[in-house]
Amino acid sequence: MSSSPTPGNASNSPTQASGPASPILQIALRDISVLFRTPWIIISRSLAFIIQLFVFAFLISELVVIPGRPSSYFFEYYAVGSVVGTIASISFIIGYDIFEEAEEGVLDYLLTLPVSRRQFIIGRALGGAIRAMIYIIPMFVIVAVLEHFNNPASLAAAVLDLFLLAFGVTGLSITVAVSVRSANRFDVVLALLELAVSRASTALYPIAFMPSYVAAVAPFSPVSFAADSTRSALTDVTLNFPSLLGLVAFVVIFLGLGSAFYFRKLEGGVYA
Amino acid sequence: MSNLRLVPLIVERDIRILFSDTFLIGIMFANFGIDLFVTAATFGRLIPQSVLHENYFLYIAPGSNFVTAMVAAFQSGRDVWREKYIKDLASYLLTLPAPRRVLALSRIAGGVARSVIATFPGTLVISYLYGILLDPRVFAAFLIVGLFSLGIVGLSISLSAFASSIEVFVTVRSAIQLYLSFLSTLFYRTDVFPSFLVPIVVSNPMTWAVEAFRSLPHAQGLIGPISVLVIPSLVFAALGMASYLWYARL
Repeated sequence: MSSSPTPGNASNSPTQASGPASPILQIALRDISVLFRTPWIIISRSLAFIIQLFVFAFLISELVVIPGRPSSYFFEYYAVGSVVGTIASISFIIGYDIFEEAEEGVLDYLLTLPVSRRQFIIGRALGGAIRAMIYIIPMFVIVAVLEHFNNPASLAAAVLDLFLLAFGVTGLSITVAVSVRSANRFDVVLALLELAVSRASTALYPIAFMPSYVAAVAPFSPVSFAADSTRSALTDVTLNFPSLLGLVAFVVIFLGLGSAFYFRKLEGGVYA
Repeated sequence: MSNLRLVPLIVERDIRILFSDTFLIGIMFANFGIDLFVTAATFGRLIPQSVLHENYFLYIAPGSNFVTAMVAAFQSGRDVWREKYIKDLASYLLTLPAPRRVLALSRIAGGVARSVIATFPGTLVISYLYGILLDPRVFAAFLIVGLFSLGIVGLSISLSAFASSIEVFVTVRSAIQLYLSFLSTLFYRTDVFPSFLVPIVVSNPMTWAVEAFRSLPHAQGLIGPISVLVIPSLVFAALGMASYLWYARL
């Protein structure tokens, strides 16, 4: 799955950095092509999104009662949240790739590439985020069409929120991938993290209906930041600055942590 | 008969594998906790009692435990897959002095034991919520979880026999989990579904399992709620055993 060459090496031409952005872009492009060469992941996550939206959300919204809101409100609420939850879920996949590369020895090959460690790590995080965005766009379009979101500025702001979330979750996933050693443990830890940040968030249900112990932590979930900010952009056509700031802080913290841990793993603690 | 004495040894090996990383069991319980005390509790507040004529939190609570059982049962299939393709242990296991049928039977029994252990605290929590914790019906609760796990372990071992890559295994597992979770009465009653989905829902093993569990507080005997799960679980287990034997041809 991860043992794919960089685009430059694939054509047998020596890869030389023509500018500072080029190696980062090449590493990012490799990660994007890795995802699209493994359609199984795309199929399973797409299937999950479709069933969640068109079966679960559709049926459960018939039962949900939110005082002062029309019966369609919960479906609309859930639809936006499921896009946010799905992008978080797909962004976690970069961690599986990194873990597998280390297990299979592909990482050794990657480290021989003429790319600095810093560029390598930024490229990995960027690739993880971009591929999650490419993957989520069709689902975002489905929800935008269903809910008649057509304001270009709102759509752009929502896309920015989704990208920030993807970038941050990629950092979080890299942090976990390089910190956990056992394959089984890694699998379960990542699944738990995915579940915790999505379920204890405002992506799938309004905070007013959560039990107090969940409502106390849900506002601090990165998925909540992204869901609140995306909903404000799409439905209220406003920028939700507190959520946006929270999202940026999440990106900075976990991208920094992910980079630091990855550096430590690659260079045994020497920060190059 | 002497061959059957090997069954507990092989089951014990599978259980030891589960306990080799107790952290994993803790994480599975954490997953169950999130499902029950976050998702189910919130939906319980979103869906008032007047809509379903019953407490929605209690309605979906058994589902959280069956989802954990399903995850644990699929973990057994994943281990079988890893033994063959990653750890290269399959040939070693086949050199053990256990006939292949006994080995296959034991692996399935081991998977069920692991699943029942992983869901043990969850089954107790749900039994408490259903008011049957200090009642003989609590044994029926464990039996239902065990029978459900038997079917899913059978399915997951079949999957591990035919999946050539981990991506195929994970994708098919996800599809089965989606079917079991969302196209069953785990979240909503049959009458909520459009009519064309009803046959799929009523033939879903998750439907039988959750309905059996929900009927426990009102059940007069223990046989009634359990009986519906016996035949399908045995069929899936037989499928798993046949697949394991096919897989063991190397």
